[in-house]
Amino acid sequence: MTGRARARARGRPPRQVTALPAVGPAPVPQALRSQVPDRRQPQQHDVPLPLLEEPGGHGRLRGFESVLPERRPEGLRVSSGLQDLSLRDRGGHRRDYHDLGVNTRQAMVHVQESKTGLSGKMIKLTTNHFRLTSRPQWALYQYHVCYSPEMESRRLRSALLFQHEEHIGKTHAFDGSILFLPKTLGNKVTELFSRTRNGEDVKITVTLTNELPPTSPTCLQFYNIIFRRLLKMLNLQQIGRNYYNPGDPVSIPNHRLMIWPGFTSSILQYEESIMLCADVSHKVLRGETVLDVMHSLHSQVGQERFRDACAKELIGLIVLTRYNNRTYRIDDINWDNNPMGTFRKSDGSEISFLEYYKKQYNIEIGDPKQPVLISQLKRNRGNMQGSVVLIPELCSLTGLTDKMRTDFNMMKDLAIHTRLPPEKRQWEVGRLLNYIQRDDNVQKELENWGLSFDYNSVAFTGRVVQGEKIFQSGNMFDYNPQSADWTKETRGVPLIRAVPMDNWLLIYTRRNYDVANTLLQSLFKVTPSMGIRMSKPNMIEVDDRTEAYLRVLQQRVTTDTNIVFCILSSSRKDKYDAIKKYLCTDCPIPSQCVLARTLSKPQTIMTVATKIALQINCKMGGELWSVEIPLKQVMIVGIDCYHDNISGRQSVAGFVSSLNQTMTRWFSRCVVQSRGQELVDGIKGCLQTALKSWSKWNKSLPSRIFVYRDGVGDGQLNTLVNYEVPQFLDCLKSMGTDYRPGLTVIVVKKRVSARFFAEAGGGLKNPPPGTVVDTVVTRPEWYDFFVVSHTVKNGCVTPTHYNVIYDTSQLKPDHLQRLTYKLCHMYYNWSGVIRVPAPCQYAHKLAFLVGQSIHREPNLMLSDRLYYL
Amino acid sequence: MDKDFREEEFTEVIKFTPPLYKQRYQFVKDLVEKYKPKKVADVGCADCRLLWMLKFCSCIEVLAGLDICASVMKEKMHTLSPLPVDYLQPSERSLTVTLHHGSIAHKDPCMLGFDLVTCIELIEHLEESELKKFPEVVFGFMAPSIVVISTPNSEFNPLLPGVVLYRHPDHKFEWNQAQFQSWALDAAKCYDYSVEFTGVGHPPRGMENVGFCTQIGVFVRKYPQTGESVQSEKPPEAVYKTVFKAVYPSLKDEKYLQNAVVSEVIFTAQNIKHHLMSKHEEEEDGDDPERKSRFWPSVDYFSDYLRKLVVDQTMEPFVNGNEVYIPLVTIFSFPKVNRLCGTFEKLCKLIAGKVTLSSDGSAVVFNTEHE
Repeated sequence: MTGRARARARGRPPRQVTALPAVGPAPVPQALRSQVPDRRQPQQHDVPLPLLEEPGGHGRLRGFESVLPERRPEGLRVSSGLQDLSLRDRGGHRRDYHDLGVNTRQAMVHVQESKTGLSGKMIKLTTNHFRLTSRPQWALYQYHVCYSPEMESRRLRSALLFQHEEHIGKTHAFDGSILFLPKTLGNKVTELFSRTRNGEDVKITVTLTNELPPTSPTCLQFYNIIFRRLLKMLNLQQIGRNYYNPGDPVSIPNHRLMIWPGFTSSILQYEESIMLCADVSHKVLRGETVLDVMHSLHSQVGQERFRDACAKELIGLIVLTRYNNRTYRIDDINWDNNPMGTFRKSDGSEISFLEYYKKQYNIEIGDPKQPVLISQLKRNRGNMQGSVVLIPELCSLTGLTDKMRTDFNMMKDLAIHTRLPPEKRQWEVGRLLNYIQRDDNVQKELENWGLSFDYNSVAFTGRVVQGEKIFQSGNMFDYNPQSADWTKETRGVPLIRAVPMDNWLLIYTRRNYDVANTLLQSLFKVTPSMGIRMSKPNMIEVDDRTEAYLRVLQQRVTTDTNIVFCILSSSRKDKYDAIKKYLCTDCPIPSQCVLARTLSKPQTIMTVATKIALQINCKMGGELWSVEIPLKQVMIVGIDCYHDNISGRQSVAGFVSSLNQTMTRWFSRCVVQSRGQELVDGIKGCLQTALKSWSKWNKSLPSRIFVYRDGVGDGQLNTLVNYEVPQFLDCLKSMGTDYRPGLTVIVVKKRVSARFFAEAGGGLKNPPPGTVVDTVVTRPEWYDFFVVSHTVKNGCVTPTHYNVIYDTSQLKPDHLQRLTYKLCHMYYNWSGVIRVPAPCQYAHKLAFLVGQSIHREPNLMLSDRLYYL
Repeated sequence: MDKDFREEEFTEVIKFTPPLYKQRYQFVKDLVEKYKPKKVADVGCADCRLLWMLKFCSCIEVLAGLDICASVMKEKMHTLSPLPVDYLQPSERSLTVTLHHGSIAHKDPCMLGFDLVTCIELIEHLEESELKKFPEVVFGFMAPSIVVISTPNSEFNPLLPGVVLYRHPDHKFEWNQAQFQSWALDAAKCYDYSVEFTGVGHPPRGMENVGFCTQIGVFVRKYPQTGESVQSEKPPEAVYKTVFKAVYPSLKDEKYLQNAVVSEVIFTAQNIKHHLMSKHEEEEDGDDPERKSRFWPSVDYFSDYLRKLVVDQTMEPFVNGNEVYIPLVTIFSFPKVNRLCGTFEKLCKLIAGKVTLSSDGSAVVFNTEHE
């Protein structure tokens, strides 16, 4: 029944009038068409091409578009064969989430041969990777298809081509211009003749352009597309990037949440083979529509604050629409429009939303007066930008809001379902592989392409490096490697540097008078053993109003004040923000805010007081403990970003650098900028002042600089390599002509889908802290490694991925790995090992405080203290 | 359309807005709206576009598609799967969508019992032998109350540019109005149907005699459905292959209904609890002005509602030590819960074992100790 017109079956919401993409040719980049005839040599897959588009990501590192193409230093050439692949998976997105084709290792001579470390005890590990195998002499044949006369519609192009299915074969992938086949057509150029329904004769020329070996980047992306097809065949539902099983949901009625179990998957070239990395993923869905949430917000906050509350709660959330299988991010709420408003359809006619949804989907919109939601389309159809109007009533919420994340009970209830212990997690992944293995259709598809999986997960050996010794005022401690925590060991031991509290304020409301006294007594009990000299504070009672707090601060804080301590009676953000803002900018004095509730439990007050005493000490410039750092003349830098979704889309980059040899003192700055500005220009400035501070402390400039860069989104590696690293180098050059320190830039990634399991007594356990993996599951084109530095109580530990994108330090991989692990011990808000190097966590803390509460750069007087802890 | 269409300008392209295929589908949709069939089959469903449109029609509970070409169905069949939101908010109606691979020249019991069968642009693709069997299979065997058949009107072809013989190379024939109508009337007469002719794609002004671009026959069965007895002979063996089946989540399914009720009950009960607790707290923290102003609007709104409810109830929600009791009767009086369950007994039955109740089973109990 080919006579039936085929149309896009997926529903689309109406576009906003402002940016209406005309129906045009298939979105094949111009560059591609002109290139194709030149690229006929088979096996050619590492052609360096300029990346013309910013490799997106989820909203991190915004605003590099304008500068990217020009700045590409020699020696950091990026090769990619991806530009020729416009096979779109869905919705026209063609993003390189896996940073394929960013080959940074080739520029680093010292890791050319080997990037593996040696130290530590061997440990047997398994992982969630599965080898992809292809039949011998496998190749993917890439053809370019052109039509004479030229046919515009992609649908028509496919229909015409597949009139010759007997010639082309049933197994194919075609995007309107590029055709992939698992077999060759025999001739380099094949001419086919078809006839359109209008009786027009069309000559189709199919030209072999490439014979791709299994490891070419194009092939890799192709595998991923095929794998997604398989998941679809298994009746899994795609939400965002992953696939979920709707048949077996877990509902948590207490919070009106539903969890769908599902999988993330990616097929990549790893060290020795191409592998599928599959991990369990959980999608949190909410049984409420955006309109429901608006109603309940209205009843909670009242008319006056309603719009603000909606913006705060809703903007940035991802919604699912009722009529199609797409997700949208809420970017704005338009209060001046409503479902009675109209838009222009692609045929030019005007229609109201009410009518449109009625006509198109038989959906009656109940509330014609609700506002509408705006979602910006990301890179729609090549370069078209536009936005989509959504009706709150037809949008279901997904994911968790920040408010929900801070709800301890909710997170606890969720964790029961989402934090799977190693054994269970691997079993779930095994189930996916089982589905694939057992489904006949899936097997057939794989077979047609000549592909198959090794259904046993990959096993290899990792190393567990030695635990660190903790030094504190002449004492040395070992910690229990199982818990990676030394709270007990260091209790009652003097701190490295205890800052006296001679002049400090304790501010509380009348209701919290008793709490304030209890706290004070407890602090007097715990501080002597730490070596902190503490005098009686100025006790100040205030009204529980923001203005009252601010007035007291203005009147009582002097330049001699060591620290301001506020006991707050509720977790109201505005009060906290006002206090922090005042004390970080106008009047730079360290401050500590604590909720009265935290101090109200007699059984925990001593523990709480101990933690607070340590925290206060750090805020005032104190030092707690250290680990042995054998490298001399070294400056460590940590960078992390915070992106504000609500107020004007600010981004904040926290920048923290070490000041001394023992890495116990840090210099902290941040960059605040609105949308469209360059984050990295500010970072360059930070590096400059950091170097100056370092030289002030050490009377020289560091000979080695290690930058741990966190907050890099998927697919943004290129930007970092091509733009940020050269900026660092520029900055170093500006410090003096004969100043040539070693620079190492390491991208830190916490969100990875790789999981490692230690085999123990027939079962699977989390690998112990200190586990380093630098073989098998790392990428050949990178100098990268995984470190498991922390422990978790429930669920699976996530390894942290470190990708060294630039390195002139000449440090051996082993030493860099050890240094990285050591730095994970130095975060003073946690007497244990953490997931990332301490400077990254400090940078995160700083950026978060500034992004959430202060919104501008804090006073530089504070920059030599960890005032943001 | 066709405002100033003059005869000498026929060389210009005739363009239908909306496109003709959309007009055909809209025609079927309008028919569905009018007759409200529960079970609809689309014979020759191709890329499932029509089925996809029909799945949004709330009267339809069973949708089936049949096509001779499995790959063309498979290409877009996932669009017929339930969407995530269908699981999140299961609808009242049940819906099952099935796709069959097979030929209309064959009888298969899975095509029995339909209210409406659509054959849009199908018959002109049939070989002569298949066309011969078509009336017997559709009108005689499937025997739905309504059949819609559309096909090109060859009299219109001279107005379409580029059409030499047929509109599509796969067409085996294209009929003029008289040919189609005579075929249709014969079939209708033979199988006791009435038929009315219409079409979509109006001819240009002054050329009305050529008829619609697509001609459509709507057949209505004259005899009432007598159920199984119509089939005097034994139903044939299944010959079609099922390539796709999707059962939409529906509140008619106990599993989904229970989920919905439990979640609504707990949500409602929690709302009442929060309200109670905040009232409780306020009594204790009387000196906090900001707190008060923050809570008042919601309390007003909610307590008004509660007051209305509890007037005629004997029981009120109350706090007892660490436990909060919320009577089921109160919960049942909330419209959403009420609508879902229908009866109080049903409510009790559905939440049994899923929600913590008081010892006599009359109230939902929350323990507040852990918070």
